[in-house]
Amino acid sequence: MLIENPLSASPSAYPVLECFHIAGFALAIGMTALVDFRLLGFGLLRQPPAQIERAFRWWTLGGLITAVFSGLLIFSTDLDMYYLNWSFLLKMAVLVIAIVFNYTIHRQPNRAPRLIAGISLLLWTGVIFGGIFIPVALAGPG
Amino acid sequence: MLLSILIRLENLAWFSDLRSSAYVYPVVLALHLTAISLFGAMIVATDLRLLGWALPEVSAPEITRGLRTGKRIGFVLAAGCGFILFAAKAEEYYFNPFFRTKMLLFALVAIHALVFRSVYADSAARKRGRLAAWLSLVFWLGILCAGRAIGYVAGRPGMHYR
Repeated sequence: MLIENPLSASPSAYPVLECFHIAGFALAIGMTALVDFRLLGFGLLRQPPAQIERAFRWWTLGGLITAVFSGLLIFSTDLDMYYLNWSFLLKMAVLVIAIVFNYTIHRQPNRAPRLIAGISLLLWTGVIFGGIFIPVALAGPG
Repeated sequence: MLLSILIRLENLAWFSDLRSSAYVYPVVLALHLTAISLFGAMIVATDLRLLGWALPEVSAPEITRGLRTGKRIGFVLAAGCGFILFAAKAEEYYFNPFFRTKMLLFALVAIHALVFRSVYADSAARKRGRLAAWLSLVFWLGILCAGRAIGYVAGRPGMHYR
């Protein structure tokens, strides 16, 4: 490789990025889940779902941006490994669907609120599982 | 004494099987992180309200009440999965400096809960509410980072794994 990735030079860069990544996705996924649980009939029941969504909209976006950017930096440390990894590819596919779903259908959950909440929770949980299984996929079966 | 109990714990069939399992261990880890996301955001939501940065039109005690059950379930899930992960490598974790840091921070969180109990129930306590919110955010972020760092300390040779 012609250009040395400066992140690979420091042994603490990777875990620090992971902390940003976890804090970011926890904020984004958890804040979205506050809306999902409200749609399912749990949590902040005195507030309408739209009010909860509005109140945490920018925090959710901030968490998502933090997670995506730290994720891109983590990705940049070992491109060859990631782009062949089935768990990573699955995670990226589910992530794109989850983001599109979140900013389209999830914004107008009036028709089938419980179904939309369930799909949202499933998609974001799927993204977490996809991430955790990246090293498992690397090791191969058995 | 404690160490010998931990060595027994990790050598229970359940946990030694888990340690050598390629798939169950990551599933528990993923559930741990899912629970952290759900639980963590509820903590942050409450703290943001105490700081006046979210839902200012709703009183802080109302937010606390609304999220109380969810927080309890989320914490039990995260702590339960965390305990399973710990039990599989109890001896290694016992010596891990970041695991010890994490446990110390949990003790601080417990003290925080006792000291600031009134803040979460009383919307009048605004200045103390801000202090409580900042401390809570710092402690939980510390727990998150210490938790992630646990995996970066290699176990010592001569661990009593079976």
